[in-house]
Amino acid sequence: MVHVSILQASELKKFYGAFCALDGVSLSIGQGEHVSIIGPNGAGKTTLVNVLTGLLSPSAGSVTFRGRDIARLDPVRLSRLGMARSFQLVNIFPQLSVRDTIALAAISTLGLGGRLLSSLQKNNAVWDIVERVSALFGLSSKLEQPAKNLSQGDKKLLDVASAFALRPEIILLDEPTSGVSTADKSNIMQVLVRAAKETGIKAIIQVEHDMDIVFGYSSRIIAVHEGKILADGSPEAIRARADVMAAVVGKL
Amino acid sequence: MSPPEAAVLISSINILVSGVFNAAVLFLVSAGLQIVFGVQKIVNLACGSFYAIGAYFGISALAWALRLDLPVALFIPVLIGSGLVLAVVLGPPVERLLRFIYHRDEHFQLLLTFALVLIFEDIIRIFWGASPLQINNVYLAFGDLRLAPDLTIPNYNLMVIAVALAIAFGFGWFLQKTRFGKMVRATAENASMCEALCIDLRKVYVVVFTLGVALGTVGGALVIPATAASLDMGVELIVDAFAVVIIGGLGSMPGALLGALVVGLTRAAAIWLYPEFEMLAIYVIVIAVLILRPRGLLGKAAA
Amino acid sequence: MSVASLDRPITAAVRQRSPWAYAVPVLGFSFIAAFPLIAGPHYAILMFSAMGFAICLLGLNLVFGYTGLLSFGHAMFVAIGAYTAAYLTAARILHLEVILLTAAAVAVAAAVPVGLLCIRYVRIYFSMLTLAFSMLLYSFLYKFYPITGGDEGLRIKMPASLLFDVSRMDTVGILTGPFYYYVLAMLIALTYLMWRITASPFGLGLRAIRDNQQKAEYLGVRIQRNRLIVFVISGVYGALGGVIVSIPVGLADPSLAYWLQSGNLVFMLLLGGYTNFFGPILGSVVFTFFQDQLMSYTEYWRLTFGIVLAVIVIFLPNGLMGVLDPRRRWST
Repeated sequence: MVHVSILQASELKKFYGAFCALDGVSLSIGQGEHVSIIGPNGAGKTTLVNVLTGLLSPSAGSVTFRGRDIARLDPVRLSRLGMARSFQLVNIFPQLSVRDTIALAAISTLGLGGRLLSSLQKNNAVWDIVERVSALFGLSSKLEQPAKNLSQGDKKLLDVASAFALRPEIILLDEPTSGVSTADKSNIMQVLVRAAKETGIKAIIQVEHDMDIVFGYSSRIIAVHEGKILADGSPEAIRARADVMAAVVGKL
Repeated sequence: MSPPEAAVLISSINILVSGVFNAAVLFLVSAGLQIVFGVQKIVNLACGSFYAIGAYFGISALAWALRLDLPVALFIPVLIGSGLVLAVVLGPPVERLLRFIYHRDEHFQLLLTFALVLIFEDIIRIFWGASPLQINNVYLAFGDLRLAPDLTIPNYNLMVIAVALAIAFGFGWFLQKTRFGKMVRATAENASMCEALCIDLRKVYVVVFTLGVALGTVGGALVIPATAASLDMGVELIVDAFAVVIIGGLGSMPGALLGALVVGLTRAAAIWLYPEFEMLAIYVIVIAVLILRPRGLLGKAAA
Repeated sequence: MSVASLDRPITAAVRQRSPWAYAVPVLGFSFIAAFPLIAGPHYAILMFSAMGFAICLLGLNLVFGYTGLLSFGHAMFVAIGAYTAAYLTAARILHLEVILLTAAAVAVAAAVPVGLLCIRYVRIYFSMLTLAFSMLLYSFLYKFYPITGGDEGLRIKMPASLLFDVSRMDTVGILTGPFYYYVLAMLIALTYLMWRITASPFGLGLRAIRDNQQKAEYLGVRIQRNRLIVFVISGVYGALGGVIVSIPVGLADPSLAYWLQSGNLVFMLLLGGYTNFFGPILGSVVFTFFQDQLMSYTEYWRLTFGIVLAVIVIFLPNGLMGVLDPRRRWST
């Protein structure tokens, strides 16, 4: 498969004072990939994801999205460029309903955020997107509920669903199945993969601890250890690397 | 020294003395604000009200002392005592009221203390009436310190500065060295952890709040030989106390000291030099600090 | 944000608006319209002021109820409105339309720089910063006697209007007659405008900012720009309301900008209920009449207000509208 690079990181470094969280990370994510980022706690996975998605700015190095430098871009502009993310700790709007949460994303997608006087209720384009995305994620029956009343699994789905409603090209998922029962995990993953196909997402990057999911769904695995990339390859290649398995799985 | 130079020096010393005197009282009230914020995380708009009611009660106490013909040397202890008595009477009930909203949105906390401001203003009216009250001759009874033919410093100012410093050090010692003080600091850092360690949070909260009230009431009492007690004084002081706390940093005791000095000296200087800019100068500094260094000069709280 | 704080399930709009949803505004405005005919002139003028405060509070609630920023300096815009009216009427520019437009323009000119500085901060710092700016205006109005009239304030003459001729009427007649309905029409129009804003995509963005700022940003909501827009709009509403409330008084004085006035505005808002769209209007009407009655019964009205506010804060945080409509069906 020809590697059409969408997201590229080059020699990323991130220091917290004297502590080095990322020590020269380079990677290139291409179209059609479902990449899992694995590594023990404290290895730098979340820092890497945060730098890639604009939450943190790198101390050194560059991140480009389709050739554009996005190192210090704020999340709003990143979402316009086509990058979205979900969060490890459930990040939703407690007081807003499911419908309104997804609608918010749809508003951004349709560029309506600055419309002060137009009626939201009458805007069919927005509710169209809401219906389709909520159907993809199995939330159609819960549209009116305030997000704080949802089950943990549904909250995670909502977090991801709202990110999907932005119609990004690339999406970063930070442990989308954590804190969820094992039975729900595979359900969530199947929903995610199907939704990605339906909404035209070109690449998925997933920070993941659950090795079953990693090996079950990824097309490529990147192992991070102590701020560096330990290994980067197909699931079979990674499985064969005993040092990676020991470093990552052993410490879990 | 030539006459103009001497005049400048005299003016400067006068500004310094009145500025530091203001700062001393302001420090006491702001320290009360700080400690309540530090521990209970509540911004107490009513701290100015405690200052005002302390002033009025101080006048009553001094009037009583005068009637009993007590020696002048006892006046300051009487004032401090009256402030403490008032604090012990008012502190616990008010804290009990605030307990209703400890876990609520901080907007509601601000509004409840605003309700207290309204309530206290009328309580003062009920007990002492609406006109300003003044107690005469006490200030002068303390005498002056004559440094030079043209330069005298009122002794009362110096004594109040000394008292404020003593309280500041005492407070610092209390927080650093005593067991209860350590509990207070621990609660300020992490209240839920303290609860898990079986520290009685309720007791800490009541004591801390009463201490905060006491700092306000004592501050108010100490100021009344020098100024009149009026209904406005609390409301005006609150803005100054906020300026102090913002400049010094929310939650920081040394910050309260520094902020009080900045505000006290700026006011004193402005009154002597550019009276129109007296209030403006303070607010400009406040706004500048909030913009350039929102944590305050010595603060720890995150913006 | 604590769970017990802003306790209302908010939906963007009601899917099918039942006829009852229109009942509140229709009944409410009809009552206000009929009011001068059933109550005496004193109370009608009181309602005139209440309408002015209602306009102020609609703006304040946009910043507080919808965007989650508690401004303790909103009084500065009321003062801007009043002083604009004073300067213009003193310069013999008497038409209310001109005064209102100018006040709005001045409010924008003030709100943009102040807003740019304040909206970067949240929670307690926003409140303190807005309080500081309001007090800055207060001290300026108080001290610079030659320009501002100092603590005596500036007189405001009765304005005229481009729409009708009031030159032959007395003050009471004007305030309970043509101007009364003029202001009511203004209130209705501004209420409708605010409704459109809160029911718009922009409005949903505001609630998202209030609920979870970080997530809102990740869903493409421009936090600082939206906050600034909201602050400026609230300032305009505040100034327009300031013009209205100062007309019966006939005086613009510095105490309008004092932080206690800002506190009163917030009190009114809480009384009416900040979680409901119509709360501000109800709050200003109830407060104005309550204050009037209370002041004639006792000189200790502050004590009463303080107790009422404490009760609301502790037991009835959603105010009167929260009591009247706990389901909050049409709250946006």
